Amino acid sequence: MPRLTRRQRMFVNCAPFNDARISDRAMRAAVFRVRKADDFAHQRAFDRAIASVAEAIAIPDEVTEWLSKGTFVAAPRRTWKQMLENPVVVAIGIAVAVIAGIFVYKTIERLNEFPGEAKAKHLLTVAASAKSVILDPVKTEAGSLGDYFFMKHRLPHYDVPAEFAELKTLGCRVFDDEEGDRVGQIWLVDKRMQCFLFPAERDAKTGAVKHFTGWRYVDQDRWTGVVREQNGVCFMAAVRGGEKDLAPYISKKE
Amino acid sequence: MLGDAPKALEVFEAVMHDAALRAAAGEMPKDRLWLFRDARDRCLEISEAGLQSEEMEMQAHPVDADAAVQIAKLEPAQLAIWISGAPDPQRSALALFYLDEFSHEELLALTELKTNELAKLLGNARQQFQAWLNASFPHDEHIEEPARQSLGGGGLPA
Repeated sequence: MPRLTRRQRMFVNCAPFNDARISDRAMRAAVFRVRKADDFAHQRAFDRAIASVAEAIAIPDEVTEWLSKGTFVAAPRRTWKQMLENPVVVAIGIAVAVIAGIFVYKTIERLNEFPGEAKAKHLLTVAASAKSVILDPVKTEAGSLGDYFFMKHRLPHYDVPAEFAELKTLGCRVFDDEEGDRVGQIWLVDKRMQCFLFPAERDAKTGAVKHFTGWRYVDQDRWTGVVREQNGVCFMAAVRGGEKDLAPYISKKE
Repeated sequence: MLGDAPKALEVFEAVMHDAALRAAAGEMPKDRLWLFRDARDRCLEISEAGLQSEEMEMQAHPVDADAAVQIAKLEPAQLAIWISGAPDPQRSALALFYLDEFSHEELLALTELKTNELAKLLGNARQQFQAWLNASFPHDEHIEEPARQSLGGGGLPA
């Protein structure tokens, strides 16, 4: 007999000799372990021999008249708990949960998508590699740089939103990105935050600006940005960190 | 359970009568094993009222590889008497186990035993029955009538 735990020995001792009657998983496992053991084979043969004699016990005619041979025990009702413990159901459940998770993730991702997201992500990499020395030193309030961009670089609507307008600046610059768009970059004192102003994405056929409302988060390489579009220009505040670092700014009332 | 066909029939009729009354009144119990539970209770009630088997030290032998051959020589009535002579809950466990109608959980529910108790009762019963078989049907003898005689002569725990 293979080495068994006390619990397995107990199960083997009282295992029904008819495999169809073994519904308990632990008992089935214990029986499986000893299925080739001589002692268990003797036990099974013993039980089956007894059962065949028991089956031969004469049933009075009065009883057979009452009952035709059949099943006298109603099939057990499967409870929700039993169904949930079934490995097949568990496997299906996990698979469905994973698919649902991916679906929800994709849906949320799709909901958070906005026109100009690709450019915003690219600018986050620019922010990650930028040094303050490449900027023109300008120490003022961020809100006043709208006029600076318009007057010096002829960039209309390159305005810093009210949420960030009062923050102090270290410097700013204007550069052309890979697509030839003019991008305004501002370096802020607060949290060494960087702001970018760039043209909103346009429809390739009509040339119309693709508008979107509210603030949208975007992240790339441990940098997070929050973007808003207004008058065809996108403003992005970027910081090294997560959404929680930017949330306090955009929750301010204008 | 009773080792007595007329008494068993009496119990059966009582159980079925009760079932018919309940069905007519629309009061069938939710317990799907209630019919067997009721029959067992009635059997125990009847056997308690009748002659009680003496408690005696039973010999126990390991289950033999040729036990099936020995058992094949048994008359069904001998087995019925042997089981009905066992003390309860061993008697209920044996009767219900060898009926081959119930799963392990159902057996536990019907006998109101725990797995370790049921395992112990069945294991002991096998060994005791094997000892009785060895005494009644020794391997080296051709025994059919002598076995029955020994059964009637006190080999049973009844």
